[in-house]
Amino acid sequence: MSFAFSLTGVAKRYPHFALEDITLALPEGQVMGLVGVNGAGKTTLLRLITGLAAAHAGEVRVLGHRLPEEQVEAKREIGFASEDMRLYRSQTLRWHMDLMRQIYPAWSEEYARELLKRFDLRTDQAVGGCSHGQRVKALLLLCLARRPRLLLLDEPTTGLDPVARIEVLEALADVLRDAGRSVLFSSHNTHDVEQLADTITFLHKGRLVASADRHEFVDRWRRIVCQGALPAGLSAWPEIASARANGSLVEIKARAWSETLPARLAAEGLQVQRTDAMALEDIFITAVRSGGVA
Amino acid sequence: MTSERSQERLHYMDHLRALAMLAGVLFHAALAHSPLMSSYFPTADRQSSPWVDAVVWGSHLARMPLFFLIAGFFAAWLIERRGQGGLFRQRVRRIALPLLVAWPLVNWALTESTVWAARSVENPSAVLRLVRYFIELPDPPSAPITLSHLWFLHYLLVFTVLHWVFRTLGFGRVGELLLRGSAARVLWLLPLLLVPALASVSAPHPAPESPLPQFWAIAFYGAFFALGALVHGEPDWLTRARGCAPWLALGCCALYAIFLWRLRAEPPGEARPTASWTVAALEALLSVWLTVLCLLAGESLLRRPNALLQYLARSSYWVYLLHLPLLFALQYLMMDLELAWPLKLTLASAGTLALCLLSYQLLVARTPLRRFVG
Amino acid sequence: MKLNLPLVRLLVVKDWQLFQKQLALYVLAGIVALCFLGLARPWAFYVGSLMLLIVLVAAACFSISTSLVVERKEQTLSFVMSLPVSPLDFTISKLAGNLLTFAVPFAVLLGGTLATVLLTPLPDGLFVYALLIFAYILFAFSISLSVAMSVESEGWATFAMIGSMVLINPYIMALAQIPDIDQRTRVDEIAWTTPAAAILIALSLASLAVLGATTWYHARKPAFH
Repeated sequence: MSFAFSLTGVAKRYPHFALEDITLALPEGQVMGLVGVNGAGKTTLLRLITGLAAAHAGEVRVLGHRLPEEQVEAKREIGFASEDMRLYRSQTLRWHMDLMRQIYPAWSEEYARELLKRFDLRTDQAVGGCSHGQRVKALLLLCLARRPRLLLLDEPTTGLDPVARIEVLEALADVLRDAGRSVLFSSHNTHDVEQLADTITFLHKGRLVASADRHEFVDRWRRIVCQGALPAGLSAWPEIASARANGSLVEIKARAWSETLPARLAAEGLQVQRTDAMALEDIFITAVRSGGVA
Repeated sequence: MTSERSQERLHYMDHLRALAMLAGVLFHAALAHSPLMSSYFPTADRQSSPWVDAVVWGSHLARMPLFFLIAGFFAAWLIERRGQGGLFRQRVRRIALPLLVAWPLVNWALTESTVWAARSVENPSAVLRLVRYFIELPDPPSAPITLSHLWFLHYLLVFTVLHWVFRTLGFGRVGELLLRGSAARVLWLLPLLLVPALASVSAPHPAPESPLPQFWAIAFYGAFFALGALVHGEPDWLTRARGCAPWLALGCCALYAIFLWRLRAEPPGEARPTASWTVAALEALLSVWLTVLCLLAGESLLRRPNALLQYLARSSYWVYLLHLPLLFALQYLMMDLELAWPLKLTLASAGTLALCLLSYQLLVARTPLRRFVG
Repeated sequence: MKLNLPLVRLLVVKDWQLFQKQLALYVLAGIVALCFLGLARPWAFYVGSLMLLIVLVAAACFSISTSLVVERKEQTLSFVMSLPVSPLDFTISKLAGNLLTFAVPFAVLLGGTLATVLLTPLPDGLFVYALLIFAYILFAFSISLSVAMSVESEGWATFAMIGSMVLINPYIMALAQIPDIDQRTRVDEIAWTTPAAAILIALSLASLAVLGATTWYHARKPAFH
């Protein structure tokens, strides 16, 4: 299997923050959502994958290129947009498009026109006069029309009003259907990730908390409500992420659900009353709080 | 605008530019016989005629303004075709480089011939007498460094830069708006703007030969350059101006008569370093109206391709660069000859033109030099 | 790391396009200043030369500000870094762009000033003095550019620009204290003295060293962060 990117034992240290021991890979053609709270290390991880930052340890390979040594070659095939990235306010979108066209040989003017229509953007307006939503869409257009093999989006929906956010997500969902394109996008909003990603990776305090297929997450995680007294040592079970008692009711969140779990719980004196699938946000919060790897 | 009309425009503008440059040769030749210039021009002959003054100052008021107007037109045309970068590259190749090469050569030739004449001619002009006095001093002062007749190249470079400045700052729109209204508006407004510039120098206005740019010259010639650039974008303006042509012609006749009368009454000199406001106003009106009339005449008479005019257009730049040192040399040589002034004028002009065209044919027409000065 | 020249050229053109409205104003002011010098009157000479100095300093500072400080402040820097550029390409483009923006008016104004000194009745001794003033401006520009390229703080970059340019005042006063330099400004001949040559060489070498060291430091970085 060929990978859009692969990180092996990667570390990046700053004075007050460190990303440690990251081993992660994205098969080509897949969409990965990177979830984490602010300060979890998402931006640092994306900077490593774009070659903007050099790792202190480990190996970063992107589209077959070793980074940061071959960052220029890699960046030719990467479209990168981040929440803190701004376009030149005094210039028009046309000016930016012309700049991109001169830099990227794969730039498609036809696709750009299609996206202009899709995003409802005007090329002759100075970027300074655009709304935040329009600027994000303009940035996406500039990334997409260069036909990148790997699209990296750092918090693309942050700061957007609900309408603009939905518009951007819908547009992204449309354009991400292209099977040949690999995408990594980060967000602290699990709802966005749920809508778009095939694979989900949780990052917390500079460490990888979990990384798996979206359906696998939903299949593996369960919220189990039981009747009885909370047995000592239950939290130490590897498949249990959290367990807490409220009177005679015990709520258990399992990170590795199996058909045999209810019987094993019954053996501990707990009668399973309900088993529910968990929302991604709940899974994320539970995984982060439990600190364990799913 | 149809491509045929735009081709016609290019033809008559090109022909007019060639004629304006050739008129320069005749103008400089004629100054040797101008009573008004007898004290200031190095080749001033013993024989002069008021008829010369009556003709040359009219051409002086329109010749270089017309040249700069056409330069502005072609600058806008080049930007349209090759962009601002293309214009800059063309200006470096065809103006900056020839200026840098020709300037020292022209200066050397003029200085050498003038010093020779000051020493050898038996009937020297007032300027030559002064030169003779200076070179005989034990510690002769160095002559002021001037661009001589190459000043127009210097200003073309300045205007190229200013053109970019005004385009970048979006000032062109003001001019476009001005040109969209009645043609008469520009025909009155432009002279009004030129009056202060012309009132700050002597009349007839001198050549801005200093290597440093002069406010008045930038305002005066720059206005025509700007008009040319604007006319390129607003070709209908000239069609509208055609309606004013009879009035302009009548006005020019009347104003020129008054101008010549005032020039006799207020000759330039130490006592009058700057023109009076009346004379400046006359010069301003005449320069604008005569230039526009020349343009209209060119549009009517020169729009068809003509082999002779095209040849002159191709050679005119080289001819103009070269003419002054040759003309001065010929006129110095003829200074002591007992010939009637019309004959001297004819011989000097024809000789200069012949030598210039011959050298063009030998050195430029079929050599790489034509990329620079052809 | 290999220099990607076509992209460096594009980045320089981009910076130039972003700066060109301001540059157009400075060029206009520069031509007006040269016209003042062309009036060949004492008051016009002072107005013209002061204006030239202001234009040169303003063009240098705003070029650095637009291409480096503002880019960082308005977060367009991350956009540029996302393009297929290496730190070497980026450094060279900033250096080349700023040097070009500075060098064009610098050369025009230096040429204009020297021509004025030589071609007008002004004493030719001012030739060396003018070179010393321009050498300081070059030095101040090099310091400002190096600091702006090296620090992330807008405050420090601005401080370096204003500080180095304002120090021209004590520099001029210091020159006035050196008889071998001050007295020669009133003589009508170009005369090189040891202090003048030493200061000129020192400032020129220091400018080159500062720019060279900055380029070397940034060009060696494997990545931007």
